[in-house]
Amino acid sequence: MTLTITKRDGQKEAFNADKINRSIERACVGLLDPIGMTTQIATETKLTLYDGITTEEMDAATINAAVQNIKEDIEYDKVAVRLLLKTVYRRVVGEYNHDPAELETKHRVQFSAHIKKHVADGLLDGRMEKSFDLEKLASALKVERDEIFTYAGLSSLFDRYSMRDENQKRIESPQYFFMRIAMGLSYNEKNPTEQAIKFYDRMSRHLYIAGGSTNIGAGTARPALSNCFLLEVHDDMDHIAKSVADVMKISKASGGIGVSITKLRAAGSPLKSSNTVSSGPTPFAKIMDTAIRAVQRGGKKLGALCFYMENWHYDFPEFIDWKHNAGDDYLRMRTANTAVWISDEFMRRVEKGEDWYMFDPKETPDLNELYGQAFSLRYAEYVEMAKAGKMRLVKKVPATEQWHQILTSLQSTSHPWLTWKDPVNLRALNNNTGTIHMSNLCTEICLPQDKDNIAVCNLASLNLAAHIEHKQINWKELETSVRLAVRQLDNLIDINVLPIEEASRSDRENRAVGLGVMGFADALEQLSMSYESPHAWDFADRVFEFISYIAIDESAELAKERGSYNNFKGSGWSFGLVPLDTIERVEKDRGVVIDLPKITKQKRLDWDRLRAKVKGGMRNATLMAVAPNANIGLVAGTTPGIDPRFAQVFSRNKISGKYLDLNHNLVKDLKNMGLWDEVKEHIIEDQGDISRVEGLPAYLKEIYKTAFTTNVYAYIEVAARAQKWVDQALSRNMYLESRDMDDMKNVYMTAWRKGLKTTYYLHMKPRHTAEQSTTNVNKAEMTGKRGFGAIKLAAAGVPLGAVASPVAVNMPSPIEASAPDLVVAQKSESTPAETVRSESGVAEVASVKPAERSVADAPTDPADNPNVCIACQ
Amino acid sequence: MLVGKASPEDYNLHPSQYPWATDLYNQAVRNTWFPHEIALKEDLDDWAKMTEDERHAVEFLVAFFNPAELIVNRSIALGIYPYLKSAECHLYLAKVMWEEANHCVAFEYVLQTFPIDRERAFSLHQNVPSMKAKEDFINKYMKRMTEEELDVTTLEGKRDFIRNLVATNIVMEGIWFYSGFMVALSFRQRNQLRNVGSLVTWVLRDESLHLKFGINLIHNILEENPDMVTPEFAEEIRQIVIEGVNLETAFNKDLFPRGILGLNADYVNQYVQYVADRRLIELGLEKYYNATNPAKWMSTATDVFELVNFFEAQNTNYEVDSGGEKKTKPGQ
Repeated sequence: MTLTITKRDGQKEAFNADKINRSIERACVGLLDPIGMTTQIATETKLTLYDGITTEEMDAATINAAVQNIKEDIEYDKVAVRLLLKTVYRRVVGEYNHDPAELETKHRVQFSAHIKKHVADGLLDGRMEKSFDLEKLASALKVERDEIFTYAGLSSLFDRYSMRDENQKRIESPQYFFMRIAMGLSYNEKNPTEQAIKFYDRMSRHLYIAGGSTNIGAGTARPALSNCFLLEVHDDMDHIAKSVADVMKISKASGGIGVSITKLRAAGSPLKSSNTVSSGPTPFAKIMDTAIRAVQRGGKKLGALCFYMENWHYDFPEFIDWKHNAGDDYLRMRTANTAVWISDEFMRRVEKGEDWYMFDPKETPDLNELYGQAFSLRYAEYVEMAKAGKMRLVKKVPATEQWHQILTSLQSTSHPWLTWKDPVNLRALNNNTGTIHMSNLCTEICLPQDKDNIAVCNLASLNLAAHIEHKQINWKELETSVRLAVRQLDNLIDINVLPIEEASRSDRENRAVGLGVMGFADALEQLSMSYESPHAWDFADRVFEFISYIAIDESAELAKERGSYNNFKGSGWSFGLVPLDTIERVEKDRGVVIDLPKITKQKRLDWDRLRAKVKGGMRNATLMAVAPNANIGLVAGTTPGIDPRFAQVFSRNKISGKYLDLNHNLVKDLKNMGLWDEVKEHIIEDQGDISRVEGLPAYLKEIYKTAFTTNVYAYIEVAARAQKWVDQALSRNMYLESRDMDDMKNVYMTAWRKGLKTTYYLHMKPRHTAEQSTTNVNKAEMTGKRGFGAIKLAAAGVPLGAVASPVAVNMPSPIEASAPDLVVAQKSESTPAETVRSESGVAEVASVKPAERSVADAPTDPADNPNVCIACQ
Repeated sequence: MLVGKASPEDYNLHPSQYPWATDLYNQAVRNTWFPHEIALKEDLDDWAKMTEDERHAVEFLVAFFNPAELIVNRSIALGIYPYLKSAECHLYLAKVMWEEANHCVAFEYVLQTFPIDRERAFSLHQNVPSMKAKEDFINKYMKRMTEEELDVTTLEGKRDFIRNLVATNIVMEGIWFYSGFMVALSFRQRNQLRNVGSLVTWVLRDESLHLKFGINLIHNILEENPDMVTPEFAEEIRQIVIEGVNLETAFNKDLFPRGILGLNADYVNQYVQYVADRRLIELGLEKYYNATNPAKWMSTATDVFELVNFFEAQNTNYEVDSGGEKKTKPGQ
């Protein structure tokens, strides 16, 4: 078949294999096996070609061919990155003659024109041109840093954050992108150019990455740079309608939203205006659930929202069902998430086996404002009133029953997330302006809000893994990163343009920022610590203490330079409190001691000095919040937030695509030991769990556990240690294999007792997954039966229970298959591992497994092995 | 015995003789899902951007799957269920039939939502020769199941039962469907039709169990009736599979008259051969095609656990019967 290619200008041209081969070859330069890799990618690309394919499709086909080989060798990741970069460079700087020096020059020289052009066409802010020495910035660009990316990271960056022209084409190279963010947050600096270079240097090395909204909006003509918005809906029609509009505007500005609906009166509660009764919160929530589907966040993703409700609300049982997959669609939230805002009072009643009462907030309006002992006292009064028949609407259940309902729903729908209002409020240093009624979409933000204030938080995350040098954290580097990140976040607030006055006001008055940490698990792996070891927990203590200390210190420094935030007076900071000091408040309120080491793990940090300093002024109401970083973690090529490694190999289902995530740390370790090629198939077969892979050292299995084989209490411990130092909260994803309800109750009760403020998604290990496609699958093995394979054995007089092999039927095969016995013999010769096996005297039956796996060494697919044993596995 | 006329003791689940069927039933219940959990709006945006060849492939596939799910149902109701004695199998098959109906409704949901010429789509399976040939192949066996009552007390009757099962379960559900799933998921892989992709992921999760059931059934019946296992019968079964592959090969040429990004008919057919080899081996036969899997990317699509950002995509991993499971304590 002759192939023609349709070029960009519509011209047809004959397919030229040599041209493709050379282009792949260039992407393989400097890698270990360039020729082998080129052949592999070229062959697989050709499989998918067809007559009339366009040049762009051909580029995509080549990239896809490289990507599907990453599971074989992470070197293919580099090739995919280079191939993808090439398509972007071509668009951004024009054709270049494959010469790195030429690319570097073009990339640098065209920067200034790029900025000017897009200021002119209205994409970028005018200050991007006026405030900077563009030539100086251009000479700071380091295009070679594009090589740091992983394919998934680069592809997400392009898809999610990269600026696009009116034809939806990406018009930024990664370095232009980082420089845009750096510049877009430096307008108000004394020396914007110098400062932008400092920010750029950090981000382009992936030492920290700005939050999603900042990545989309910084430097542009529409700088809506905040990530998180928290608003409460008040119990009147006007405010409900306004809130729906607010939700839509915030979504458009690319923010994630927390919405508290606790104040909405219950279904059946009387309406004065018409002498009818209210339909309760559900139908109103459904309006928002639908509204966010209509709005593309920042034009790049669907709206995202989480509803918060306190569990004493009369309609809470209905709220639990909002995410159930069956039932009336009008009573279900298909898009929005749900979280329950739980009091210590409830947890105690669960512990003691007492009853739990639910009320109409119309009758108990103060409960939503109270927390700690004050809440408990008032709640007890309402309970007495209910017992005396003085409340119009009351429901009563054993507290354990509601606890059970919450957790069963969590197990089957991952909703509602469990968040605890009392540690959030008791430990807050910023709630001098009012009660915190909810957290946000990702459960890491703790900011107060009321009718006039929509709380706003601005995020960036440090990449811990990128601060490791020679097997240790470079603390000096980390300090510089923390200080620059805090400054960058503070700068953001004066540039930020938000769509709603209540949000702008709150942002201005509080200047709340949330510096997070990602790459925690990645760092542990590189430092050879297991996530579930006490060393890892002490490490969490040390790292978070250090970051918290420097971040707070930097904010106090900024206060000296720029003044304190407006609501500083009366805040916890103004009394000289730091996050660690607030644990005591929770302990006092609960009347129990929280089981955590309270001592400092960083000996050289002088907290008393800092206590005195913060008393003098703080620039920001909050400093830290550990976001899940599901996207920027991917961009930086590290583990998101404080999450464990989900599995050594798994797939990420993202808006930008579905990516195979293979743990590069493990692959490198295994390559060093010469084991990778031997075990790679088995690791996929076991879905990224290496615990049953033979021949691996035990310590590796300790370091490289999956999220489901790691002890779930380790997740609580890491979060509890970090929470000591973090003034807001952490998005604590949980992972569970056990579906036993008692196990689950213990886990979440422990999380509360350990002082966690919030938890996030609960990932349950699936009990069953679809049949694997690329691994060796034989479902008959589980039956222990031979099927038609019995024929040949019977003919050969083999007794029952012996090894079965497929029956040979006299049929001409399109490819001459060798007899099974022969294949085994050949493999024995070629694989030393198996020879050792047979020599060790293990029965023949046992030797089949390694023989089968040894086929994985060969370039052919394992399922090609005719020596598939049915009965013996 | 699995096959035969049901007697009163077959109405008891206990003592369980075929616990694997009960396990399948339990897992199937946990896997319950509904098409309307998935919103298709974003896919419509993709559809608007897709090429004619891509749209043709989607329409063609959905047009095949939609009636095919009902054909499977009919074959279970009339050709499999009546001839099985096992109460556990009846339990599972009842859930399977609901699942097939649910799959049909899911494809119906796609057909009704997408701007597809529905009249044309619904009639494709009767008008396109390669699609009709697949249906005729199944109908040939269906006819034996439905119009001629099998006497499963005879050896020939039992063999007929197995032939039927191989045609519908192994060939149709185990090879044809898998080929279609791969094509559907390839769109997802290129970040198109992500929500249809979620539906297909669910269908595939169900179908993986159906296939497990079929293979278990065949193996158990062969073991209970060793006189069925002859070289001649093995050869006949093998021919059924090969015929199925040939029909699918012709079908895929109509599915992809030209190619689309990442796929063409030859590529899909190599995958079909790869899957067919796997099915042959699972039956205890030798592989026939010795084809390698061209779709290495399927490791990302189906082979490993998936981590989903809930506010980005439907999480298809959740299971519904929470609270029911207890840890087995030692001694229980």
